[in-house]
Amino acid sequence: MSAALDDAGFMVALLDIVIPPNGDVPGAGGLGLSPAVAEGLRGDPLLGPMVGPALESLRTATLAESGEGLAGMQPDGRLALVQEHASANPVLMMGLLRHLCPAYYALPQVLSAIGEEPRPPFPLGYEVEETDAGLLAILRKRATAPD
Amino acid sequence: MTNEPVGVLVIGAGASGAAFAWRIAELGTSVVCLDQGPWMRQTDYPTNFMDWEARSMGPFSPSPNVRRLPQDYPVNEQSSEIAPLMFNAVGGSTIMWAAHFPRLTPGDFRAKSDDGVGDDWPIDYETLKPYFALNDRMMGVSGLAGDPAYPYHEPPLPPLSMGKTGNALARGFEKLGWHWWPSDSAIISQEYEGRAGCINLGPCLTGCSQGAKASTDITYWPAAQRRGVELRANCRVREITVRPDGMADGVLYYDAEGQLQEQKAEIVVVACNGIGTPRLLLNSKSSQHPNGLANSTGLVGKNLMFHPYAAITGIFDEPLQGRRGPVGCSLWSHQFYKTDTSRGFVRGYSFEAVRGFGPAQSALWGMVQSLVPWGEAHHEAFARVYDHTASLLAITEDLPEETNTVTLDPVLTDAHGITAPRVTYWLSDNSRKMLAHAIERAKEALTAAGAVEIYAMPLMRDAGWHLMGTARMGRDPQTSVVNEWGQAHDVKNLFIVDGSVFVTAGGVNPTSTIQAIALYVADSIKSRIEGLF
Repeated sequence: MSAALDDAGFMVALLDIVIPPNGDVPGAGGLGLSPAVAEGLRGDPLLGPMVGPALESLRTATLAESGEGLAGMQPDGRLALVQEHASANPVLMMGLLRHLCPAYYALPQVLSAIGEEPRPPFPLGYEVEETDAGLLAILRKRATAPD
Repeated sequence: MTNEPVGVLVIGAGASGAAFAWRIAELGTSVVCLDQGPWMRQTDYPTNFMDWEARSMGPFSPSPNVRRLPQDYPVNEQSSEIAPLMFNAVGGSTIMWAAHFPRLTPGDFRAKSDDGVGDDWPIDYETLKPYFALNDRMMGVSGLAGDPAYPYHEPPLPPLSMGKTGNALARGFEKLGWHWWPSDSAIISQEYEGRAGCINLGPCLTGCSQGAKASTDITYWPAAQRRGVELRANCRVREITVRPDGMADGVLYYDAEGQLQEQKAEIVVVACNGIGTPRLLLNSKSSQHPNGLANSTGLVGKNLMFHPYAAITGIFDEPLQGRRGPVGCSLWSHQFYKTDTSRGFVRGYSFEAVRGFGPAQSALWGMVQSLVPWGEAHHEAFARVYDHTASLLAITEDLPEETNTVTLDPVLTDAHGITAPRVTYWLSDNSRKMLAHAIERAKEALTAAGAVEIYAMPLMRDAGWHLMGTARMGRDPQTSVVNEWGQAHDVKNLFIVDGSVFVTAGGVNPTSTIQAIALYVADSIKSRIEGLF
């Protein structure tokens, strides 16, 4: 589909721009998510064929700027280049985020950083607020009676 | 596996097929059910795993065109404004539903008489009333008795907790003086019939790891099997065969090993949903039925109805813990359910409250709404959205139109080479006006509830959960496919029990009514068996 998806250095640098680190919240680049994103895009019959060429175009442009590609560029320069390509082809970020977000927000360190317990919903489940007793009392006054 | 002729053959083990099979087993004859999908395991459902959201968008997507599992069949939806959704397994789409469980209201059975649109049903609410109650007990329904929007009925279990989202939304409806009520939910609020109560996992749509949400693989099927019903999973029916006299003879189906088998039966019952059923009937052409089975009028596949949905989401300042708790089950409103001609459309809609999204879905929803960007601003924008949303779904009443159809696709086939369906569906002007009205009213409700920003999705494309109308019920053989007992006008030993038989759609989720009809048809057969043919 696209050599860019197999270029680990390029993908790590790009994912760190898409979701950068911020305080306790880790950036997406260093979390080993590139294979999941690549696999997702390869299996996506709608977005994959559009995102692949867009990624390749970006990668080619970064290699023209630096022999090390995106990872070798200065922060301001690489952000500007990614913005330029994202503006020219909005499906680039749409496709990346579609497959990055489900992988990123499943990681324990990310869940902890956004205030969630780092576990799946089952088997512990969750507590929820009870229905407001005052509201239920209102409804019981309105309730119809048995026939 | 023997293929001796059986008394009753049911095709499809989902909501309606399971209920029908359980009930008809009382007849004492042999009953076999074939389903193209496998038995599911609760340990495989997404909420067992950290990446539950990723799984819900892939192998547990509600769209067969996304999942593309061997038991799925593709649906050509290119000419449809709404994408059909379904799940193919024992339990059918009840594996993957929100379990919001309203009934059709009495007025839904007489749209023609009341409002001059659609048609009247040949049966009414009173006919189905005992079956609604029976079905509530079999599925395990939680709710609060006395909703003025309905004739009095008592759900067998107390209502689910509405959570912060439900409480906030209910206060909004109260401020406006609008009707609201805790939803009847096919989710057990406490232990019931050997099943453990809901523990608020959240994403009910991807299968319930707890088993608190009713799906017919864990409600009806164990009971049906105890009554002797034989269920063959991973068996896909290719066509219904007919005898020289044109009556149904049985089916040809591919077994789990892919071998073509024949199963003969005295009575054939189709329960494959509003798309699968017309597909099977249209694929069952013969010299006696050259246009497909039960299709002498050409009505099979016509009058397809979905429920066009609008999703209106509010962002709140306070955290709402919205992804905890049954996502689609907290409260409903029938404030705008009945016709008011001053609104510029006929019939109406209900609101269904939606609690909230998981983190990945929140980020993606924010991206679509241009609220959560990529780059440096991502985290701050995400924090503003995540855990701070509550939504209202407007479920609008679709009206039957012969131009909305299920036909056979000239190209697509499933894994067995069986011709796949093509859906042609365009929204009516009436539905568009209804959606626009609903969006404005939802904005009022969300504002009253405390939302500080509101975003609307005017028509949800991926919302074709409810598949109805494609083999409609009626007394006139010229204008309907089955009679008031679910019996095909053309083929007296062929019955249809799924949403295909709906005459009109109402403005609520249909499964409670679908299952009540399946139970009613079973009892109709039992009580009339002597003179049935």
